[in-house]
Amino acid sequence: MRYGPYAAAARLDERLGDPQDDGRLFSYARCAALDEGEEFPLEICRELDFLGLPRAYVPVEYGGTLLGYDEALQLMRVVARRDLTVAIGHGKTFLGAVSVWTSGDAEQARRLGAEIAGGTIVSWGLTERDHGSDLLAGEVRAVPGPDGSGYRLSGEKWLINNATRGHQLCVLARTDTSGGPRGFSILLVDRRTLDPASHRPLPAVALHGIRGADISGVAFTDAAVPATALVGTEGGGLEIVLKSLQLTRTLCASLSLGAADQALGLAVDYANERHNFGRPLVDLPQTRRLLTESYADLLLAEAVTLVAGRAINALTGELSVSSAITKYFVPTLVDRMFPRLAKVLGSRALLVGDTYRHGRFQKVQRDHRIVGIFDGSTMVNLHSLVNQFPALVRGYRRGRVDLAGLQAAATLEEPLGAFDRTRLELVSRPGSSPVQALPLAVEELCELAEAGEVGTVVGTLATELRAATDRLIEQMAGHRPTALDVPAEVFALAESYAACFAAAAAIQLWLRNRKAFGSDELRHSGLQNSELRHSELWYSGLWLEAALTRALALVDPTLRTELSGEVFDRLAVPLFAQHASGRLLSLLPYPGEEESA
Amino acid sequence: MTTTTISSTTEIRDWLRERVAFYLERPIEEIDSAARLVEYGLDSLYALTLCGDIEDEFDITVPPTLAWDFPSVNAIAEQLHDQISEQRLADR
Amino acid sequence: MTAIDGHTADRAEEALPTGYLDTAHPLETRFGDPDDPDNPVGFAAFLRADERGELLPAGRSLLDTYQLGAEFVPAAHGGRLRQADELAQTLRPVFRRDAALGLGHGAIKLIASATVWSTASTDHQRWLAQVLLRGGQAAGAYTELASGHDLTRSTVRATRDGTQYRLTGSKEVINNVNRADSVTLLARTGDGSGSRDHSLLLLDMSTVRRDRLRFLPRFRTAGLRAVHLGGVEFLDCPVPASAVVGELGGALETVLRAFQVTKATLTAATVGCFDTQLRMVTRFALERRLYHRSVAELPHVRSVLANAYADLLISDCLSSTVCRALHVLPGQTAVYAPATKYLVPLLIQESVDQLATVLGARSFLREGPYGIFQKHLRDLPVASLAHSGATVCQATVIPQLPRLARRSWLSGQQPAPASLFRLGAPLPELDFRRLEIAAGAEDSLLAVLPDAAAELRADPELGPLSARLVTELAALKASCTALAPRNRTPLAEPIGFELAERYSILLAASACLGVWRHNQDHPNPFLRDTAWLALALRRLTARLGLPVPPGSATAEQRVFTELVTRERENRSFDLAGRLLA
Repeated sequence: MRYGPYAAAARLDERLGDPQDDGRLFSYARCAALDEGEEFPLEICRELDFLGLPRAYVPVEYGGTLLGYDEALQLMRVVARRDLTVAIGHGKTFLGAVSVWTSGDAEQARRLGAEIAGGTIVSWGLTERDHGSDLLAGEVRAVPGPDGSGYRLSGEKWLINNATRGHQLCVLARTDTSGGPRGFSILLVDRRTLDPASHRPLPAVALHGIRGADISGVAFTDAAVPATALVGTEGGGLEIVLKSLQLTRTLCASLSLGAADQALGLAVDYANERHNFGRPLVDLPQTRRLLTESYADLLLAEAVTLVAGRAINALTGELSVSSAITKYFVPTLVDRMFPRLAKVLGSRALLVGDTYRHGRFQKVQRDHRIVGIFDGSTMVNLHSLVNQFPALVRGYRRGRVDLAGLQAAATLEEPLGAFDRTRLELVSRPGSSPVQALPLAVEELCELAEAGEVGTVVGTLATELRAATDRLIEQMAGHRPTALDVPAEVFALAESYAACFAAAAAIQLWLRNRKAFGSDELRHSGLQNSELRHSELWYSGLWLEAALTRALALVDPTLRTELSGEVFDRLAVPLFAQHASGRLLSLLPYPGEEESA
Repeated sequence: MTTTTISSTTEIRDWLRERVAFYLERPIEEIDSAARLVEYGLDSLYALTLCGDIEDEFDITVPPTLAWDFPSVNAIAEQLHDQISEQRLADR
Repeated sequence: MTAIDGHTADRAEEALPTGYLDTAHPLETRFGDPDDPDNPVGFAAFLRADERGELLPAGRSLLDTYQLGAEFVPAAHGGRLRQADELAQTLRPVFRRDAALGLGHGAIKLIASATVWSTASTDHQRWLAQVLLRGGQAAGAYTELASGHDLTRSTVRATRDGTQYRLTGSKEVINNVNRADSVTLLARTGDGSGSRDHSLLLLDMSTVRRDRLRFLPRFRTAGLRAVHLGGVEFLDCPVPASAVVGELGGALETVLRAFQVTKATLTAATVGCFDTQLRMVTRFALERRLYHRSVAELPHVRSVLANAYADLLISDCLSSTVCRALHVLPGQTAVYAPATKYLVPLLIQESVDQLATVLGARSFLREGPYGIFQKHLRDLPVASLAHSGATVCQATVIPQLPRLARRSWLSGQQPAPASLFRLGAPLPELDFRRLEIAAGAEDSLLAVLPDAAAELRADPELGPLSARLVTELAALKASCTALAPRNRTPLAEPIGFELAERYSILLAASACLGVWRHNQDHPNPFLRDTAWLALALRRLTARLGLPVPPGSATAEQRVFTELVTRERENRSFDLAGRLLA
């Protein structure tokens, strides 16, 4: 079976040309040079504009091509797989516009959609110098204009992506001097129409990674903004932001997947070409393990992302949980992958410049650190999970599952329903269907194990996962909810819960797609192509076994020593085969593999 | 308390004060029903969880932003009382 | 607190030297306040130099005036090198500010010279001592890019030709090679890939024929951007036969000795970088306000900070103890040094990643008051890789474990003497020649663990913690004894690497226990208290993947309080707790 969203992604990738060819605009060489010189990848972004990527940021109802968020995810992933500065610098327009998609009126959204399709850059002004993630402490204020119409905007937004390049800026501003959750509004400010004296860009900030990105700020002084700039209702700012973040936090996972693909690809390359102690590095068992463990992490991260990405359309009301988990879990898993792969690459992991592969490894490692920070940091996301513990405990105990929604989120063949923004909720009342369906799913897996359709180990792992989840839920229930000082150990519970979600998502994904990707017929069809290679991953639950082994050690770290790492060794064959084909490292066959296989 | 009869505004208010005191880990006497919850540090996200408790307690559905729109114990209590009364009427 | 009367006998030692604690290290004083933006050798200046990719000139001349070169020359040759732990203490003020300067204008000279000190060639030693004492540059050309840390595969060749050797081939990624007065070169003098096919040559660069030499373009790295990593290519280059240092064919043996010193000392020096990063985040947490209070009031943040502080103390306990072991237990450091060089950078890196979550966006900025955080974050992996990476260190540890397991662990081994752990106490001068190339059958540092555990049995907090670690040691002993021969080579299955890791963690626990019990006369009550030790042992237990026995909640709080006190009193976070500039 083919995975639909890969088609568009592969088309984009192909049109961008071979990144190893220095003559291409979007080449590794150019990206490395731009990074060293701290230059914005202007010509590459323009190339993406020519190829129509901006339209993918605009929902179809507003004139774009965005229908299912799973496709948007894969598009960003192939861009991130080449360069994170470009992905972040270009993809930012989606973040800038998302408030309008979730909360603007139709006319406003259509106008903005047309602008974006035409190349307008939109950025999102949330944070301020002294307040970081504490949005309600924001000091940028919008007061009514002198004649009672429109607003006058004053104050500074800082650490804003594309603050200087952006034509339009969605600003969170205080509209009620006393503040509070109803004291802020979103204004879509068109900087091209502002009196130049009323706003000035703040200098770009020198960054650790994505050095070429335009992370700067903007200072407003009594800037006159028309009433039509208001997005949603006055006082609705915080709610709009929190709902919009549910979409963007989920989409951020695409950046991490692209980064992981780069890093793992470089490490496998090196392990193949390099000899140590008289053997190719890749034949050293420890090196193989470092690679295959990372591959298992990548597949687990991908499984979470696939399910969470479809959940935007299919389990919209649960996004406050799934987006916080995805945004915490995926970037953290990938950040931890780099030191492991750096061990394989040795000094090549640290070299800058042309000595080895344009210094790509150290670059992607530096670049990726931002993903765990922006758009809601690790701490913010874990905190948001902690706040939802009561609903998560209740939901698990009652076994509440949105069966249809879960089925749609996990079944890749099923067409996604249209995204309905009215179903976005600030907190998920039903909890989290993937986790709450775990007891059912484990039963299903155990039956399959008994019937010999999946390895018995998978059944055992799933049963252990179920037990660990039961224990975890009891611990979460024992946490006395508090508005103030969340004890440190409760953060650890939230981390474990995120890992449970990841494992549960992986199980759902395998159960609902195993026939499509790993059926007996496919195995015995004599096919010598990528579908067959992937069927090895799916058949008997190989990837699931690996993913569960990784996830279980994160759910309960004391289980780590009891888990066998042998399964990772069995991932070596599919990993090396996928890598040799030069395509995406993935659970799913990526178009075009046959030609190069 | 599972309500078969409609709770009075006072009962609701006392229950809410108790919950707020619980979350803030402060004695209930310190919770002023007229004060804005924000001033106790119970702003933004945490106020959202209060709604889960309310739904469990009174068996109704409230918007999660209830405490944003009705920012004091008194305001929430009045709103809840109205909502519960309307619902009971409709159920009859 | 547990009484340790049983050990008063061991303390027939001299009193701990303590007078220096309330002064700043002389180098620290010379550098001055690093946060002062106008300080020509402060953080801001180092950040700018990092951007330019050059060692800060003012920093170099400061070290020259201090005659830092003498710190790497053994006292017997007129230098100031007596004790490895002291050398690390001297390097920490430099590493606190800039690891590039500390390595590129400092410790690199130890890497270049330690091999020479490890031989019996007094003429070479005398000449190199002169170079270093007059402030000259020394480079150590051991590795090649194509073979990395696998020195047996080095290809630069020295061919005998009458009274000369002729050199061919190139060495890459060599610190300071184009500025060096002396180059210590590892070259192939035999044809095999065995242990006797390589020799060391000491080159006087002023006499090497320039027409037979090419300097390669500079290599750039993500961290330590300021160091000069170059390369050199020899084109049938003649050098006198007298350039051979030590025995012909003896290079690998010499390197195995010498690198124990560099591994231990450099690892201990990098605690200085970690100190600065922890200080930045502590300060940020105390100053920054979020959600109506200071960030440091959030329990989660306190916990991250306290645990990072415990990691710093673990790192110092292990690396400083191993530095002292070079003097006290020279027959055992062949396993301690690589275990330390493996574990400490890993501990620091993971801890710093946690600290970055507190610092948030500030951890990503190359400017502003916290800009130094990301610089150190980039520098550490590069500094840690200098002359041997994590995998090589583990691969050195693995083959030594089965014998130690069988002969020493839990088999009546005497624990290391108190002198190993006495903070800052004088030791006999470092003798490179006494170091063994492989650990024998003794492991007296690890023997501290069961010994201390027996003594602490009654302690409600430390008792269960140390008992759990002893159980783990028994399991490790069983696994290492049973380790299949094929798993004792670099081709080992992952199990070998896993065991090496577990060994390093238990070794760290032993070092913590040793430092705590043998410094009960330390003037700082915090070091005598059990809080830091309990937290450190809990961290290590969790790192082993074991359930952590419940402990008192106050340990974390007490460690946090000390952290804040030290920051307010402007003292270093390490065991010494010395005043800072």
